[in-house]
Amino acid sequence: MKNFPKALLLALGMTLTACEGVFQYNPNQVIFKDSETNLNQKNIERIQAIPLKDTVRFILMGDTQRWYDETDAFIESANNQKDVAFVLHAGDISDFGLSQEFKWVNEILVKLKCPYLTVIGNHDLVANGPAAYRKIYGPMDYSFEYGHNKFIFINTNSREYVFNGEVPNLNWLQSQLADNRDNKNAIVVAHIPPFDGDFDPKLQDGYAGLLANDPNVKFSLYGHQHTFRDGDFYEDGVHYYLTTSTGERGYWLFTTWKGGYKAEKIEY
Amino acid sequence: MKKLPLLLFLLAPFFATAQIKDRLDSERKWFMPDHLKLQFAGNIGFLSGGPGYISNNKTLETDLLFGFLPQKFGGDGLFSTTLKTTYSPWSIPLKNSYYIKPFSIGFYLSYTFGKQFDTKLPSHYPVGYYWWATSFRPGAYIGGKLGKDLVVNKRQRSLEMYYELGTYDLLLISYVQNTGYLRPSDIVNLAIGLRYGF
Repeated sequence: MKNFPKALLLALGMTLTACEGVFQYNPNQVIFKDSETNLNQKNIERIQAIPLKDTVRFILMGDTQRWYDETDAFIESANNQKDVAFVLHAGDISDFGLSQEFKWVNEILVKLKCPYLTVIGNHDLVANGPAAYRKIYGPMDYSFEYGHNKFIFINTNSREYVFNGEVPNLNWLQSQLADNRDNKNAIVVAHIPPFDGDFDPKLQDGYAGLLANDPNVKFSLYGHQHTFRDGDFYEDGVHYYLTTSTGERGYWLFTTWKGGYKAEKIEY
Repeated sequence: MKKLPLLLFLLAPFFATAQIKDRLDSERKWFMPDHLKLQFAGNIGFLSGGPGYISNNKTLETDLLFGFLPQKFGGDGLFSTTLKTTYSPWSIPLKNSYYIKPFSIGFYLSYTFGKQFDTKLPSHYPVGYYWWATSFRPGAYIGGKLGKDLVVNKRQRSLEMYYELGTYDLLLISYVQNTGYLRPSDIVNLAIGLRYGF
């Protein structure tokens, strides 16, 4: 009888594992299945196992926040594109930073024929979002190489850190750009572009300068503004691409090869 | 300050027990709670519990519950406190002093403690940047109860088991805007609980 509370808790714990999703304990809980953890690393391994071709094609989409119907519609369009190696999600996976939202988006995106990778958006940092993101996707700054490309994902959501001068982490970005002996195309992917008001104004010049001064950086990828935009905004030779939101039913389709690339705007 | 919710959570049942004993010797005071509840799940804690009141006609209950989600079960230790009100209009007597309350409807407002949660948008955001508070969550549920009248120490008591199917504002908004992909079952979750009336 002394062990009764312990036994009760154990029984409840077992119920928890048996009835995943039926019971929820707090909107801010951070509970994921094993198949819903560390997805970026798992998907990098899947991407790197895809046999290399002369060209690498990938999709840049983003801002799925509270647009599940439209995200579901995206799958059909993306799966009809030929030879897409992977999909890049430019952040704002969730709207309220809830684990439930990350789960819903993942449930939809696993229907892609190819793996997908994410970068963190400002909405993903709301409430317990940072803990949820780390659990389901992994570190907020990371990179991987595939073919002639080195992809660098970086948290640029400065406003969420009260513009404390540490986000984005320019030292980390610099070391990632420097660590590129084979001179692969360096492609920096983030949620908030440096010319946006939510990007730390003190870090804007430093960030854009790092990209401009690296001859391997030809273009850089973003979301956040919910509209298609692209241009050499700093007139420094780096072309910035912003994808529209999933709610607007559009994405960029990139084709890259050694020393070159092509970008196509797709609406569905 | 960080330990306050834990203290409240741990002491709530203790105070309530003390009050039960007090009442054995005197008339019930108006502020004495009418019951204690212990609830599992329902987005207000892994376990939550606390005192509550019932209206004179026994249809409307109002509770103050203190909830905890241990790190072990949630990946994050979360304390919350919840004000909850449940309306159960019908009670049907069964054999052996059992009864069922086949239908309940209720609302709650829950507050989760933690410096990552805000009630008012911090000043480093433009007005309306995020329109919802992250600390407070309003929710609603429907459910039912099975109860039994008991006599304990020559006094009339009751023990009830209840279930509730509920959701909360942010999930409801998500559903309403995505009826193509989401189903009602995606936003509804189950809570079960005990109510000891005295």
